[in-house]
Amino acid sequence: MSQRNDEMRNDDVLIEQIARDLRAEVRVDPAFDAQVMARVRAGGMPLRRRAALRWMLRPRTLTLSPLGALAVAAGFAGVVVTSTLTMRRALVVAPASVHRVAGAETVRTVQFVLTAPTASRVSLAGDFNGWSTTAAPLHRAAGADVWSVSIPLTPGRHVYAFVVDDSVWVPDPTAPRAPENDFGPPNSVVTVLGAST
Amino acid sequence: MEASDAELIAWVLGGNTDAYGHLVARYRDRYARYARRMLGNRDDAEEALQDAFVRAYRSLERCADRDRFGAWLFRILVNRCRTSGARRARRQQTFVQDETALMTAAEEHPSERSALREEIEQALAQLVPEQREAFLLKYVEEMSYEEMAEVTGVGISALKMRVKRACERLRELLQEEVERVPAE
Repeated sequence: MSQRNDEMRNDDVLIEQIARDLRAEVRVDPAFDAQVMARVRAGGMPLRRRAALRWMLRPRTLTLSPLGALAVAAGFAGVVVTSTLTMRRALVVAPASVHRVAGAETVRTVQFVLTAPTASRVSLAGDFNGWSTTAAPLHRAAGADVWSVSIPLTPGRHVYAFVVDDSVWVPDPTAPRAPENDFGPPNSVVTVLGAST
Repeated sequence: MEASDAELIAWVLGGNTDAYGHLVARYRDRYARYARRMLGNRDDAEEALQDAFVRAYRSLERCADRDRFGAWLFRILVNRCRTSGARRARRQQTFVQDETALMTAAEEHPSERSALREEIEQALAQLVPEQREAFLLKYVEEMSYEEMAEVTGVGISALKMRVKRACERLRELLQEEVERVPAE
């Protein structure tokens, strides 16, 4: 009986020694967080936000009396530009367009796109160009409502917004909002991955 | 004060995707250990862990108890590790076939302690996945059988049997090796 107890104790010691070794810390690749967040952003949004966006973008038919239509039209006119801009989209991060700028670190060309059918001018303002409203004008695709511009950005997090007709600041409807903007119009965030990622 | 899991989830669902990065940073190292021990190599482990984080993000609304996000994420990770292991088994890339790499690694770290670590990892890799999973949850993650049952969806008596058999097999594989290592 005593010998059996000794064997059991030895077994416990052995298993505990194995477990202790296996409990050693495991570190992930330093780029792990950035890789996860890139996949998170590329793969869409959580269920509730997807559902909310589907609800917002769902086509609807409104039936109004002539008088009601007049009243709604008067109110709607003030916001139609902004709503047209924000209900469509998009932000696209060019996947493989990496190039070198002389004397600088690796940069990536990032394309910004906005659908704005009623706009006359659209520009891109952000922390990368000193929030200039003229430094990065978007160009309208021929025969389309889509405006775009491609600019080189260094790896890291950048905050930006579109400026429509020199006066209306519009966040990118498909990009994350910058949480630090507690006042004024909301801004958007783009994270540019480094060369190693 | 650091934001709670529930607060971070609320921010994410409210549109602040960056807040999810805090949850990733909070759990990645802790759960990387389980994935690494379960799958036996860094690449597969990090892929499974990434998959778990991305799937959790996409299903965040389904996380019923947001203060227990970590436990919910861990269940997803356990499933991802099962899937990854099964996929690799189908490719016939078993842990045993990594023996050469393990032996090479052991040679690069000639101390007795490192050699024992390699032996332990190799022995762990030779367990059937169900036993390896149960052993890791019990002895490495230090879960109760009730917690293990919640994570795995397996009954407690079956889990106890898996742990018992895993211990027996590890003893067979490692008894001789451990006896050679001087006590600390």
